[in-house]
Amino acid sequence: MLEFPLRHVATVLLESAIRIAPADTREWGEAMRGELSFVDGQWAALMWAFGGAGMMVKYALISIFIPGRGQGIPPGDELFAKNVSLGKAALVGGAGCILASLLFFGAPPFRQAFRVALRPWYFMFQIASGDSQHGFQALAKRADSQRDPEGLAFCAVRIENSRESARLAEEAVRLNPNLLWVYAVVGMRHPELPQIGPWMARLKQWDTQNSLFHLIEAESIDRSHFRRGVWTPSTQEQEQAWHTAMAAAFQSPRFDDYFDRVAELNREVIPRYGFYDPYEVESREQLELPVAAFENSQRFAKSLLRSGEDFEARGDWKSARDKYWAVARFGQIVDSQGRTGFEHLTGTSLQAMAYKALQASSERGDNQAEAALFGYLAAKFDPISGEHPGFPKESAFGLNTARRNAAVVQISGLMILVCSGLLVIAVAILIVGRSSSQGTRPSVERAKPVATLILSSSAVGLLFSSVTLYLTYRPYWYIFQSAVLNGGRSQARDLIYFLNETKLPAGVSPRSYLLVHSLVYSGSPNFLFYVWTGVTLLGLIGLALILLRHFLSRMRVNRLQNHPRVP
Amino acid sequence: MNTPRISPETLRVLESFLERPTGWHYGYELSHQTKLKSGTLYPILMRLEKYKLLEARWVATQEGVPPRHTYRLTPNGLELARTRLAEAQSRWLVRQPALSRG
Repeated sequence: MLEFPLRHVATVLLESAIRIAPADTREWGEAMRGELSFVDGQWAALMWAFGGAGMMVKYALISIFIPGRGQGIPPGDELFAKNVSLGKAALVGGAGCILASLLFFGAPPFRQAFRVALRPWYFMFQIASGDSQHGFQALAKRADSQRDPEGLAFCAVRIENSRESARLAEEAVRLNPNLLWVYAVVGMRHPELPQIGPWMARLKQWDTQNSLFHLIEAESIDRSHFRRGVWTPSTQEQEQAWHTAMAAAFQSPRFDDYFDRVAELNREVIPRYGFYDPYEVESREQLELPVAAFENSQRFAKSLLRSGEDFEARGDWKSARDKYWAVARFGQIVDSQGRTGFEHLTGTSLQAMAYKALQASSERGDNQAEAALFGYLAAKFDPISGEHPGFPKESAFGLNTARRNAAVVQISGLMILVCSGLLVIAVAILIVGRSSSQGTRPSVERAKPVATLILSSSAVGLLFSSVTLYLTYRPYWYIFQSAVLNGGRSQARDLIYFLNETKLPAGVSPRSYLLVHSLVYSGSPNFLFYVWTGVTLLGLIGLALILLRHFLSRMRVNRLQNHPRVP
Repeated sequence: MNTPRISPETLRVLESFLERPTGWHYGYELSHQTKLKSGTLYPILMRLEKYKLLEARWVATQEGVPPRHTYRLTPNGLELARTRLAEAQSRWLVRQPALSRG
């Protein structure tokens, strides 16, 4: 029943293929078409047509990619070789794709994107080796050997190890006393350092009106209660010193976190050392007022407001108002002169507290108009529902876009690795096949078309992955450039969201990652290192065995060819 | 001197032609004898014809059925086919003891 339609389908298929074939091969298509009527069986006819149509399409493709090649007749020695034109076209196309992919590596955005794409694996190794700040430590060594104060200061403000950070800061200031402000930035990160006292004393003489030093001092006193994991209650002297430091902070007319100087330092140091690491931008976000500065200022502000209420109870309205306004004024200074979201949060919270107290005071004084004004201001500076939220939304793309882009970048990077691995295998098969083309290895000979197919498809995959990686990462490259050149935090939130997402392998939820992580590192911190080393060694041994077997068989074949045993 | 590379498929086609060295052969008949598929057989025939080792002609069959292409080795093709097959056979004979020895 199916005989007629199948033979008809075969005829239509072959005739369609003949139409798209180059002119000089159509005659051969017609030859196959002529034979079709004599092929026994409808399925055999269909197979005959498939073979012929495939051949016609092949020649059509060759004539497109290699114009003028016609039938693809190989020259000279290859007269009797199996038709290799399509294979050669695939190899030429594959080589073109590989070359184009390699050209991408010449572009700095692509190189950076590739490093970011491999970050999850690199990150795991870093943690396994306990060296999460390898880049900064290497840079610090270079700056140390070159006696470069700016380089030392750059590393001092970022290195997490407090002792090393303090050493670098002191060395930087010794080489260039104008970098004294580095003590303040290092002090913000490491208020527990024993050097805080002498450092702050020098800074107070250098920048007399900055409240930051007093906040760091207060935080340092606070931290002194918690030494070696043991909490000790504060002595009266410590409590007094803390109050003095906080009172000085609230009376200071300025607040400067020196982040503009850090930005200037970045602009100088990053090009000097070629330290174009996007994760460096992330480290800038860690430069922040200590968390305890918020708690300390809240605690001190509450004590001032209570003191104001006491004055008010005694009928001393002026002294009471002075206390309330001291809190509002300090909040306004930190809010307006601070540069980070946390600093704005600290400032707005203090203002909201102060205006609420002033509103209550005005209501008690029966001044409704003033109470309404302070009520409005308290609502305006409310850190959660107010007009100036503590953490402004600086993200343009949003977290979901960052997550999606991170997955695309990671998958593209992984695909580049996989395609490169397949390319190496395919090239190895083709080289082995070429060296044993006398027919000594039929299995290798049979694998050659498959290897050619793998090579061409991997090359296309490599190029596609490279283009995807480049295009997806390009916006983040511009944000990074802007952060390095301008030092600003404009859109840095997008880059940071994206970089955070790249730390986990795509598709792995933070919860499961943490679980695996804790299991993996529960024993030796170098567990992963040993696993990967073992896998790599096994792979190398396997490769060595394959090569050894190949060369031994070649030697045997050569020996037989030179000394044939003719029966 | 290096001998030209020769594929086993081409050898099979030449061998098939040598069964009736001066006779005309149809494509389907060659395919049947060599067990080669059309997509493999015809490129070989095309190359042989291009190098004047093979001659082809159209033969009309019955009405309403397309004409058939038939092939025959030229004197050059015949000589070359015999040489190559002899070489291949001698190589095969040389290898036999080695292959059987493993």
